[in-house]
Amino acid sequence: MKEKTLQVLVIEDNAGDVRLLREMFSGEKPGSFELTHLMRMSEAEIHLAKGGVDITLLDMGLPDGHGIDTVRRAHAAAPGVPLIILTGLDDEALAADAMTQGAQDYMIKGQIESRALPRALRHAIERHRMQAETDLIRTHQMQFKDEFLSHVSHELRSPLTAVRQFVTILLDGLPGEMNPEQRQYLEIVLRNVKQLHSMINDLFEVSGVQTGKLKVEPQCTSAPDAIAYAVNTLQGAAVLKGIILSADIEPKLPSVCADPARLRQILIILVDNAIKFTPPNGTVTIQARIFDEDPSSLVLEVSDSGCGIEPDKIGRIFERLFQASDTSAVHTGLGLGLYICKDLVTRQGGKIWAHSAQGEGAVFSATIPIFSLPKMIAPAFSEERQVELPITLVVTELGSQTGWLSDQIRADQCQGMRDLLRGCLHSDLDVLLPRTDSAGPVELFFVVAITDGIGGEAICKRIGKKLGSSEHLRLADLTHSTSYRSLEACRRESIESKEDFLERVATSIQELMNDEISSRQVKNG
Amino acid sequence: MDSRKILIVDDNADIRLGMHLRLKANQYQTFFAADAFSGVAEARKHRPDLIILDLGLPAGDGFTVMERLSQIPVLAVIPIIVVSARDGLGNQKRAYAAGAKAFLQKPVNDDELLAVIRQALGEPAGMKKPTLYDQGSV
Repeated sequence: MKEKTLQVLVIEDNAGDVRLLREMFSGEKPGSFELTHLMRMSEAEIHLAKGGVDITLLDMGLPDGHGIDTVRRAHAAAPGVPLIILTGLDDEALAADAMTQGAQDYMIKGQIESRALPRALRHAIERHRMQAETDLIRTHQMQFKDEFLSHVSHELRSPLTAVRQFVTILLDGLPGEMNPEQRQYLEIVLRNVKQLHSMINDLFEVSGVQTGKLKVEPQCTSAPDAIAYAVNTLQGAAVLKGIILSADIEPKLPSVCADPARLRQILIILVDNAIKFTPPNGTVTIQARIFDEDPSSLVLEVSDSGCGIEPDKIGRIFERLFQASDTSAVHTGLGLGLYICKDLVTRQGGKIWAHSAQGEGAVFSATIPIFSLPKMIAPAFSEERQVELPITLVVTELGSQTGWLSDQIRADQCQGMRDLLRGCLHSDLDVLLPRTDSAGPVELFFVVAITDGIGGEAICKRIGKKLGSSEHLRLADLTHSTSYRSLEACRRESIESKEDFLERVATSIQELMNDEISSRQVKNG
Repeated sequence: MDSRKILIVDDNADIRLGMHLRLKANQYQTFFAADAFSGVAEARKHRPDLIILDLGLPAGDGFTVMERLSQIPVLAVIPIIVVSARDGLGNQKRAYAAGAKAFLQKPVNDDELLAVIRQALGEPAGMKKPTLYDQGSV
């Protein structure tokens, strides 16, 4: 069988080094290697993007690129092509670093044996091929697992629907009243059905965690409200077990930047878990306070008087399908709750950890960033822009033909709207603010832009055009309009610190936003 | 006022019966279909005020039903509530795009279903007969 000619791209600006490399291939069978030589990174990127290259030899010092950056560029231009770094003796450390950026290997100039180079290239190509194959198999396996989970949870939902329907029909007395004992037993059925439902949802969610599909929509929200919700929801379960469930919340806590539904979910998972692992007559307490170690976050703590977690297991409890195998506790979960919990906390910019001394209960702590408008607008006010800055607040209103948006539509549309809006903005000059809890008839989206009235007008036009062409909004019968309001030019006083300046600007922006929100609420009664 | 007519299209007989009992208790008149084809046929025959539609059906699926109904002017105006065990996001978007008024995930909370029905029929929320045991699902 005739061997394929391997296409080698040499990116090297030193003609002497290139000649040496060519000589190293002179001992090879004619037609087994073909060398293409380019001097500049920009040319190489074009060549790589065209395809057909089997392996790249890269010198990290080029006229138009240097160091690790050249590795990234070469890798980005053709991620599937293996890369070998050519380096001088003095930058071996850098070459080793390049391995973490996608390079397969590195060779030190002047130390390459002539016979070794072609062999090294063949090995690198083979190694790269095997790696790619393994990655592909892994991707397929993950995909299969997600599809399987999704399918199973779907199939389980239908019969569960029927069970739940008929239990509630009986409990509501539609076919006639029941005696108290019958009622009590059916309540037990319903409780278990609900538990089964939540397990199926966990299964489904976890396939979403794996593929990053879980929706998280952060906004300014109240942590105490979420805690109160969790307490109300699980009070019944706690009482049944004779557990005292209580909340201890520091007064006047600032709002947090989190998805309210996800925040409730986090607390419910933690509290539910705590109740599960606490014996009768124990206690479960939720605490919330500003985090000592990082005052820009709140810390939420769920502590219980349960059996605690063994020291060797505490590091693993957030892993998928992990079950603390305590024989005294009845397992009633899939071991997915804490895994989902960790994903939700991390994706909202927080951290989660557990602390326990065995036999003395466990404490689960999660941090959630405090909502801070000054911090959010900070990226637009970089140090270089210190003169007088024109600031514009762009407001996009999403409404419906009927004049009122249902919560369902809000939830469905928000993410898509935010993506559309982001596509109309300059990432370093404009900041799309998180969702505000406007509770009005329309949904409002706010953008803070460093621009004057003319720029504001232009942004409005761009947004109007983009949303106007959205088939999705049209089909869902949604209306939209975009307007802007200019703030007075803000000048940072020489004595003012950046924090104070941002605070002052944020206050003005907040006033404008409140104004916009309340005008909508009044307009619609 | 005559009681409003609701067509339930679901291939699971237990679910059809369960919905019927709940809807009857709330003074709605119900009709049934167990597949996509008869879903359209029954809609033609009874001209319901509202359709509760499952997505996974024999002889087509919920989307086929919505597409056919949308081609028949007198039936195209009937509000549709999709109740499905299929996963949210993708199907939800598709259902709304096809003209559904709401998308509910099975297992459905009856309170929620009734609220959505009333909303779709333009009935005041106040006339709701409360269901004591089906609030919230944790």
